[in-house]
Amino acid sequence: MTQERFIDLARAEQEPLRRFLLALCSGNAALADDIAQDALVRAYVASGSFLGLSKFSTWLFRIAYNCYIDHCRKSRLEEAPVEAALAVPADDTSDASFRYQQLYQAMDRLPEKEKAAIALFYFEDRSIKEISSILGMPSGTVKYHLSMGRNHLKQYIQL
Amino acid sequence: MKDIEDFLRENRPSVKDDPAFLMETRRRMKAVEGIKTEVDRQRRSGRRALIIALAGGLALGVLATILAFLYPVDLQSFDGGFLQSARIFLDTWKMYLIYPVAVLAVTLSLVLTLGGRKTARL
Repeated sequence: MTQERFIDLARAEQEPLRRFLLALCSGNAALADDIAQDALVRAYVASGSFLGLSKFSTWLFRIAYNCYIDHCRKSRLEEAPVEAALAVPADDTSDASFRYQQLYQAMDRLPEKEKAAIALFYFEDRSIKEISSILGMPSGTVKYHLSMGRNHLKQYIQL
Repeated sequence: MKDIEDFLRENRPSVKDDPAFLMETRRRMKAVEGIKTEVDRQRRSGRRALIIALAGGLALGVLATILAFLYPVDLQSFDGGFLQSARIFLDTWKMYLIYPVAVLAVTLSLVLTLGGRKTARL
């Protein structure tokens, strides 16, 4: 795959990819973008091994999720995402800003797999099958994590 | 449960289109491209050196064999009977020597397989 072809594909996927990582990083946009770039570079290096058996976006999201997991293992940034969650975009209305704070703080308390399943299902509208390919787990396990994630979020978020 | 699902769908994180993001990605890709080119160059030169060494070794081996045939010598007069005793040792223990050889072969294949997997994962 040529660099230009890869950039074209990446351009189409950059927004969902960054949104997914933003949700995983609990609103820390700088960290999310850094991991997204790392994922794109890794995907570019490995683009020769992409056989087209799955969608490009599924493949890319899987790499991005692995990058995120690697990052979590390397640096134990347990507190940083909560701090970042408080720094919501300035142009948001105060109500929306409060809701984002609530959401990011609640997401930050979820285990990684639940967080990823929730982000992919509700924010990216991915099917269970796609989530199963991205997270590398059976469909039943994805459903379990979704259910657990929803239950946890219900406890953490005041609706 | 419907409430939390609605809340999540209504509050999906918003990402602003950022041209700097793709520019930075392109810059990193270019840097990686440079490293890839250098690694490929080193791999090619390493392979060339290996081929030259193999060809040189083969040529020297052939030369040595030809010389040995042209000028046969009595080896026992050189090594003090070492080769003869080694031959007798191998002849005596050949039934048991197969086990260490098999263990070494299995270990070597495992090392090569695992090493190959690590490289493929990248």
